[in-house]
Amino acid sequence: MPAQSEMAPAAIEARGLERTFKGGVEAVRGIELSVAAGEVFGFLGPNGAGKTTTVRMLCTLLPPTAGSARVAGVDVLRDGAEVRRRIGVALQEIGLDPIQTGRELLELQCGLYGINGADARARAEELLELLGLADAADRRTKTYSGGMKRRLDLASALVHSPEVLFLDEPTTGLDPASRLTVWDEVRRINAGGTTIFLTTQYMEEADQLCRRLAIIDNGRIVAGGSPEELKDRMGHDVVSVGLNGADPAATQAAIGELPGLERVMVEQDALALYVEDGPASIAEIVRRLDRTGVSVGSISVARPTLDDVFLQATGRRLEGDEEPAAAA
Amino acid sequence: MTEIALLGRRAVREVVRMPEATIPTLFIPLFFLAVNIGQVSKTFPSSTPFLHGQGYAAFQIPVSLLFAVSTATSGLALVTEIDNGYFDKLLVAPIRRSSIIWGRLTADLVRGVMLSVLVLIAGLAFGVHVKSGVLGSVVLVLMAALWGVAYAGIGLLVALRTRNVQATNASFLVFFPLLFLTPNFVPFDRLTGLMEALARANPVSYVIEGLRSLVLQGWVLHKLAICMGVIVATGLLLTWLSVRTIERFDR
Repeated sequence: MPAQSEMAPAAIEARGLERTFKGGVEAVRGIELSVAAGEVFGFLGPNGAGKTTTVRMLCTLLPPTAGSARVAGVDVLRDGAEVRRRIGVALQEIGLDPIQTGRELLELQCGLYGINGADARARAEELLELLGLADAADRRTKTYSGGMKRRLDLASALVHSPEVLFLDEPTTGLDPASRLTVWDEVRRINAGGTTIFLTTQYMEEADQLCRRLAIIDNGRIVAGGSPEELKDRMGHDVVSVGLNGADPAATQAAIGELPGLERVMVEQDALALYVEDGPASIAEIVRRLDRTGVSVGSISVARPTLDDVFLQATGRRLEGDEEPAAAA
Repeated sequence: MTEIALLGRRAVREVVRMPEATIPTLFIPLFFLAVNIGQVSKTFPSSTPFLHGQGYAAFQIPVSLLFAVSTATSGLALVTEIDNGYFDKLLVAPIRRSSIIWGRLTADLVRGVMLSVLVLIAGLAFGVHVKSGVLGSVVLVLMAALWGVAYAGIGLLVALRTRNVQATNASFLVFFPLLFLTPNFVPFDRLTGLMEALARANPVSYVIEGLRSLVLQGWVLHKLAICMGVIVATGLLLTWLSVRTIERFDR
C-alpha cells in the first residue's frame, strides 16, 4: 500500500493480519493497511475475497489468527472495549430488531453508548431527520423498505459520532436511487471528519467515494492507491477487441506490436490492449486485422477502469458488478 | 446495570408485541391438565390421602405451571438475532456481553409471571384451592416464573452453541424426560422402584414438590427451601454456562 498522507495520524493500521477458519480456510492472508484519519478508504473485491472477515477483525468481532491491528490508535486485541467505543459499524447484513420502531431502536442504541434520557431522544430525532426517516420513525422496522433499513442501520452506527465508521458493502442489494442516497450520506459523514472504511464489490462506488483504496482478492491485497493512480498505471486508453469466436492467439499475432502498446490482457472472449492513443490505435488494429484476414466481433476504446486494474492484478474481471451502476 | 435494563426492556417489549410467541406455549400445559384431570379424577377422588382433601387438579397444577414456563422462547429470540445480524450490532457496542443474556432473562421473568398467572387462573376454574392463601399464590407464581428463568439457560446455551434455529427449538424437548421422570402423576412412594429412584435423582421433582406443597399443604418450609435451592442452582449453572459461551462467541 502507498504511504498514508504524511501529516495525518493513522485511523486504521493492520500489520500481517491473517484469519484462518476451522477446516483450514484461509480467508485473510497477511493484510497490511494504513488508513489516514479523515479519509474514505475503499476495500474493493469480489464476493469471498476476505473483505467482511477483515472488517470483522478490525471491529473486534473476530480475533485474527495472526498479525495485529490498531483502530483509532487502539489495539484491537488488547483493548477491544475501547475500540468498540470509538467505532461505528454497519455490517453487510443489516442488523435491525424487527419488533422495535426506528425511534426505539436508535434510542436503545444511544443507551448502549451511554447516551440516555433527553439526550438519547434528541440524538435519535436528529438522526431520523438527517436520514429522511422521521415520517417512519414510529413504525416497526420490519415494515421498512430495503433502502430505509440500510439508512436506519447507518443511523444506528452514528449515534455516538464515531471516530471511525466501518461500512461493509453498504449498497449491496439497493436500487440505484437508494444507492445514491447512501453515497450522499457517506460524503456528508466524512465531511464531518469521520474516517470511513468502506468495503464494496462495485467499482463505480469505490471510484466515486474513495480517496484511496485497496483491491483484495483471495485474502490478499493485490493493488492499492488512489483510483486515479491505479487507473493511470494501466495506461492511457484501453482498446477492447471482442473476439466473437476468433482465436485469441491468432488475433494477438495479427495485431502484433502496435505503436504505443503498453500491455495486452487476454480474456475469455476478448483482448484488452492498453495503449497510449486509443483512437489512433483502432485504425491501425483494423488495418492489421484486415490485412491478415482475421475477423473479430467488435472494437471499442475507453479509459481504463478499476475493473481493468482488477483484471491486471488477478487475471479476471471483478465479479458482482453487474448491478445497475448509479450515475453520480 | 443500565445496559441490562435497556436490553431487558427491549426483550419485554418483544414479549408484549409478539403474543403469538407466548400464547401457544399455554396450549400443551392446559391440554395436559384437562386430560389428566378427566382421566384420573375418579381413580383419585378427593379422599385420596396425597390430595389433602382437594381434587386431582390441585395435584397437577404445579406440573402445568412448570410445563408452561419451561420454554426455549428466549433461545429462539437470540438465535433469530444471531441469524438476522442484530446480535452482531450488540456485540460491537461497548457493553458487557453478559448483559445480552441478562436482558433476555428479564423477559423470561415477565413471560413466566404472565403464563403462571394464566395457568393458575385455569386451575382455579378447575376447582383448585391454594392452601397457602393469596400470598402463597404469589409465591407459587414467582417460583414458577423463576424456574422459567433458570430453565431458559438451556435454550440460550443451545442457541449460542449451535446458532441454529431448529436445534434451539428442539432444545425444548429436553424438558419432557425432566418433567415426566418425576412424581408428576403420583407421589414418590406410589412410583415403581426404578421410577422412584430416577424421580428422586431428578432435581425437577423437588421443584414440583415445593410448588405442590403450597397448593396442597400450605407453608412447608423445608420443601420450599429445597425447591428454591434447585431453582437457584439450576439458574446459576445454566446462566453461568450461557455467559461463558457468549463471552467466547466467535473465539
